[in-house]
Amino acid sequence: MQQENRKLNFDVLVVGGGIAGGESALNLANLGYKVLLVEKELSIGGKMILLSKVFPTLDCAACITTPKVSEIARHPNITIFTGAEAKNITKKGEHQFEAVVLKKPRYVVVEDCTGCQLCEEACPVSVTDEYQYGLAGRKAAFIPFSIASPRAAAIDIENCILCGACERACPTNCIDFTQTEEEVLVKIKSVVVATGFNLFDPLKIPRYNYGKAKNIITSMQMERQLAPTRPYNTILRPGDGKMPDNIAYVLCTGSRDKSIGNPICSQICCMYSIKQAQLLMGALPMADVTIYYLHIRAFGKGFNEFYAQAQDMGVEFVKGKVGKITEKENGNLMLRYEDIEAGVVKEAEHDMVVLSVGVLPNMEISESFKTEKLALDPFNFVNQSDVLASPAKTSIEGVFVAGTASGPMDIPDSILSGGAASAETTSYLRRASL
Amino acid sequence: MKKKIGVYICHCGGNISDYVDVEKVRQAVENEGGVFLSKTTMFACADSNQKDMVSDIKEKQLDGVVVASCSPKLHLLTFRGVAERAGLNKYNYVHANIREQVSWAHSDNKTGATEKAIHIVKAAIAKVRNAESLEPVKVQSTKAVAVVGAGVAGMRAAIELAEAGAEVFLIEREFFVGGRVSQWDDLCITDETGKELITRLYDRVMQHKHVTLFTGAEIVENKGSVGNFEIKVKVTPRHFKLQCSGGELQKAIDVCPVEVPDEFNFNITKRKAIYHNYPSEYPQLPAIDMKTCTRCGKCEAVCNAVDFSQKTEYLNIKVGSILLATGFDPYEPPKGEFGYGEIDNVITLPQFKRVIHYNDKRLIWQGKEVKNIAYIYCVGSRQLNGDNKYCSRYCCTSTIHTAITAKNKYKGIHNFHFNRGIRTYGKAEVRYDESSRLGDVYLQSFEYDPPVVEARDGQTFVKIKDVLTANKELEVAADLVVLVTGMVPRKDNSIAGLLKVPKGRDKFFNEIHMKLRPVETVIDGVTIAGASQGPKNIMESMNSALSAATKSFSLIDSGELALEPTVAVVNKEACEWCGKCDEACPYSAFEKVEKDGKMIAKVIPSVCKGCGMCLPVCPSNALELIGLSDHDVESMIDVLIEKDTV
Amino acid sequence: MAGGKVNNSPKILVFSTEKISDPAIDMAGLLKLHYPPTVYTIPVPCSSAIKPRWIMHALEQGFDGVFIAADGTDCPYGESCTTKTGEIVRETMEQLKEKGMDPARLKMAAICSVCSEPFVKHVKSFAEYLGKEKEVNAVE
Ligand SMILES: Cc1cc2nc3c(=O)[nH]c(=O)nc-3n(C[C@H](O)[C@H](O)[C@H](O)COP(=O)(O)OP(=O)(O)OC[C@H]3O[C@@H](n4cnc5c(N)ncnc54)[C@H](O)[C@@H]3O)c2cc1C
Ligand SMILES: Cc1cc2nc3c(=O)[nH]c(=O)nc-3n(C[C@H](O)[C@H](O)[C@H](O)COP(=O)(O)OP(=O)(O)OC[C@H]3O[C@@H](n4cnc5c(N)ncnc54)[C@H](O)[C@@H]3O)c2cc1C
Ligand code: SF4
Ligand code: SF4
Ligand code: SF4
Repeated sequence: MQQENRKLNFDVLVVGGGIAGGESALNLANLGYKVLLVEKELSIGGKMILLSKVFPTLDCAACITTPKVSEIARHPNITIFTGAEAKNITKKGEHQFEAVVLKKPRYVVVEDCTGCQLCEEACPVSVTDEYQYGLAGRKAAFIPFSIASPRAAAIDIENCILCGACERACPTNCIDFTQTEEEVLVKIKSVVVATGFNLFDPLKIPRYNYGKAKNIITSMQMERQLAPTRPYNTILRPGDGKMPDNIAYVLCTGSRDKSIGNPICSQICCMYSIKQAQLLMGALPMADVTIYYLHIRAFGKGFNEFYAQAQDMGVEFVKGKVGKITEKENGNLMLRYEDIEAGVVKEAEHDMVVLSVGVLPNMEISESFKTEKLALDPFNFVNQSDVLASPAKTSIEGVFVAGTASGPMDIPDSILSGGAASAETTSYLRRASL
Repeated sequence: MKKKIGVYICHCGGNISDYVDVEKVRQAVENEGGVFLSKTTMFACADSNQKDMVSDIKEKQLDGVVVASCSPKLHLLTFRGVAERAGLNKYNYVHANIREQVSWAHSDNKTGATEKAIHIVKAAIAKVRNAESLEPVKVQSTKAVAVVGAGVAGMRAAIELAEAGAEVFLIEREFFVGGRVSQWDDLCITDETGKELITRLYDRVMQHKHVTLFTGAEIVENKGSVGNFEIKVKVTPRHFKLQCSGGELQKAIDVCPVEVPDEFNFNITKRKAIYHNYPSEYPQLPAIDMKTCTRCGKCEAVCNAVDFSQKTEYLNIKVGSILLATGFDPYEPPKGEFGYGEIDNVITLPQFKRVIHYNDKRLIWQGKEVKNIAYIYCVGSRQLNGDNKYCSRYCCTSTIHTAITAKNKYKGIHNFHFNRGIRTYGKAEVRYDESSRLGDVYLQSFEYDPPVVEARDGQTFVKIKDVLTANKELEVAADLVVLVTGMVPRKDNSIAGLLKVPKGRDKFFNEIHMKLRPVETVIDGVTIAGASQGPKNIMESMNSALSAATKSFSLIDSGELALEPTVAVVNKEACEWCGKCDEACPYSAFEKVEKDGKMIAKVIPSVCKGCGMCLPVCPSNALELIGLSDHDVESMIDVLIEKDTV
Repeated sequence: MAGGKVNNSPKILVFSTEKISDPAIDMAGLLKLHYPPTVYTIPVPCSSAIKPRWIMHALEQGFDGVFIAADGTDCPYGESCTTKTGEIVRETMEQLKEKGMDPARLKMAAICSVCSEPFVKHVKSFAEYLGKEKEVNAVE
């Protein structure tokens, strides 16, 4: 593939366009700094834009994310590269950084795409949709999801058979198969790392039988089923399309578990499970929801009240450690668990199981830093070098961290952390101009 | 009168359209006078729809726009922005709230909800029909910020603001800075002690020539508003001259005859009326507590730095924004709660931290060595019957940390944790794990069945039905019972009343929106940080302090603010200066001027806050508020009362 | 008209205040606390900005009742709000009496920014009262 080199100057490079990176970018742009926001995915908004409603207020996630996202998208001081990654970040001196940003081709001229979806209709290739966490299919020519920003098509070149159907269908001729990978050299004065977190992959716990038993899904998949931009218009068991009426949540899946190498608590899964349980009670009034937990971490503002509200609504809370999940012939699931209150091992049958998967570090960004190392903490999150007085500081002067890149946290905390990173960046930049 | 109004009705991804038939609403309003275009949309606020609106306004030359969606508190500004980007003056935009006040409020009655939505959208159309273009009122803003409270949050915010380029007034009520953290020795997460952290922050505060620190100071009056708050600060003297030599000082303390409980040590020790909290605190200058000083003059006789002639001063300061970081109080259990105040070896966690501070080799309480410690969690938090329904967030982690500290510092300590389900969230989980490995014992109950503390045969017992061992009844004889008290709002939180900052259900200061505007309050220009907003640990307090500093700074950075032009106006013909409006206006926004040979009232737009208090008092009905004229209100009423259409 | 249960409930106009009581009414929706859908709000900056003529207009044009969701002591524009709003209510009630209208068709209560439940209680009991009055009047 041909490489093209461009050189650009900005004040700040923000890596990661989730809610934390977005908040940092907006604050800095509002103070007049030029920001380059680099996002790996095809849309900014991170995990949050794909959520249903958010605890503890139950606002719809899209309603909160989309205005922020569009404010970011049209801010004159913010340049956004989607489908791009910051590769080599080198520190040349104080207030002097260089980064190589790798822009993958989208094969669509975003400015010309109207999001009409005709290419989607025309495309003959169907694959599973990663933005619906595998719950539905999509085409090889596709718009990531309806509230994506930019809301423009992209061609999944790995699955594309180059039939040209989309090109012919597009009314604005915005599909362009000649696009190539581009390497852009950018000069910046400081960097904000907001690369977020990874979700635990439950295949790593074979005794739960995720991936084999069809009616076991992850919490992120449930989140998609409950979201306004959901794949089905209701809640379904993926195995047979039946509406479930006895749903179990298994908390701490992949968290607080040294055997899979993650000793810490993910801090959000108790609350999002309680939230989903409440939403399920609303969507399926007849359904029973049982939450198997070790401890309920309802610690934040309004959280304990939210937990009490779920109990009042009739969500069942069982203090128990789930050992094994097996599938029955009818697709129902048997949970073997230690009932801690009763002190005995019990079994329970449910027709759908949701694994409340934990928050894992996204470590790859540390490898992008070439001259100075971006230190990680013992759990492989970005290390906060002065966590009590300057939580956004990292091991490299001039590089700041925002949001879940430094550890598990919910949306309000991610936003505050994004605010902190922008504040520290501002005073760092000001020192350059003095 | 507008002829080309665009109306957009939002599904809100089902939040609205599940209960309101949005298409029916559209049909019901499409023929209203002036409506040129009407559409429904999945997410009105989504970027794609905003783009559509911009091109509609431009291409079709719309002269008025209505969006019917969620509460204007969320998106009024969003859609005003859309109008502006399309070149339409933003006051030609009117918002209709059909989510919070229709679809959600009436999710039990779809027909009723749809009907109500129709009426509300029609009323918005009636209002936009009369709307006029307005230009914002520009005011100069003072590039200074008052930070209230010099705890970790306040100091950190002050540093950030000064570094960004603002003039900062840091106002601390106590004579010493540091807030609660100066009371803790070792902290969780790092090896730094509270005092070291405070020293570090204080040094940075003092380095900045743009930070002015007042101790013993409080805001007692506030006038003005965002951009130009005029605050009056009362500074109580510490009755000490700046220069003093340490030797005489100790003598002065020794001779003082007044002894009072030392609040710094949560009353487990006593101090004199002339006091300082700990040797290296800041500012390094003692103070005389005039509330208890008897003016006996003994200290003055031995120490010439004592100065009783110092007077209370009042300073008037002008700032553009106020950042509140007034922190929290530890919950004070009433006498008898888990034996507190009745059984003498029942103390609180903050007291326990001070006890550890004062005991070096062996842990002694009331003359006896302590080996078995029982911690009772969630005291004053997660109350089933009391007002504090919330979890105090810091305490599980902090207790476990303190228990480990005690175990490492003294020999033979046994820790028993009577908890309600441990909440060591996040990375703190490893401390919980560590303490279990060190042999700490955890016993759990639920809210409705808390442990019981009993004094029997000269011993203190804690009894619990332990969830973790199949509800077995267990009892521990404890040498010391530590009540893990939660965080509550400051007892004296009158500053909130002074600035009109609202409080939430938990009585902590309340933000506008937890996710969209987490550090701003409904009072423009007043931001909140740290534990004053709700329980937080230090890192979380810092994050919110830095965020609040950013928000406060961005308000004053440009030196100019654009204020809402929706102010009061006087009808020159009708006005016959009677002065009633002048009396009613809380901001003195009226001037008496001569016009065409008579005296009339005139509104100063930059002073008027648009509260409307003057409107009803005018005997000649000569006053109107822009955007809320008689015509606006009455035409909305006329539409709202129309017969149902469905 | 098709017998929707809606149309029989009395129509109530609420004057809410932008910073204090309107957020509480929003939150009532958020918490799904139901009240009759014939309750409409017009937000004003402060409850002491409501002109008696607006209230009269509403009642004369056909609203069964007007409810002032007052700022109370929480008013961001100052303490005088309570007395001023009280004065407006007093004056309007006098006008109502003069015109031979039931002064109880105007009601006021302080609604703080988190007073969602009290708000719903108030409008429900007000609607009940107005509903009874309506029936009586219909019979007469
Ligand atoms: C199932 C589920 C439900 C939840 N529900 C709630 C809720 O109800 N309420 C709540 O408060 N919180 C909830 N959360 C938590 C919430 O999702 C997170 O707090 C929030 O998304 C964190 O935002 P972030 O910006 O730190 O990270 P992310 O959302 O992970 O964003 C990081 C962004 O960086 C990009 N990126 C990563 N690496 C690179 C790279 N090398 N180069 C460029 N870009 C990169 C990613 O693509 C992504 O867009 C939930 C989480 C889950 C999993
Ligand atoms: C027992 C205990 C142990 C803890 N241990 C830890 C720990 O190990 N690690 C950790 O991270 N966190 C810990 N915390 C939490 C930590 O104390 C708080 O996060 C922190 O104190 C919050 O800082 P703040 O500045 O918001 O408030 P504060 O520390 O309360 O400071 C507020 C300041 O404002 C001043 N003030 C109040 N009202 C006014 C007014 N009207 N005018 C002027 N000034 C005013 C006060 O005098 C005070 O100086 C602990 C808390 C407790 C109770
Ligand atoms: S938040 Fe809850 S579910 Fe998640 S790891 Fe922590 S304890 Fe487990
Ligand atoms: S943090 Fe722990 S001790 Fe504190 S209130 Fe919450 S659950 Fe109770
Ligand atoms: S609206 Fe009237 S009372 Fe209110 S500030 Fe303006 S002039 Fe004063």
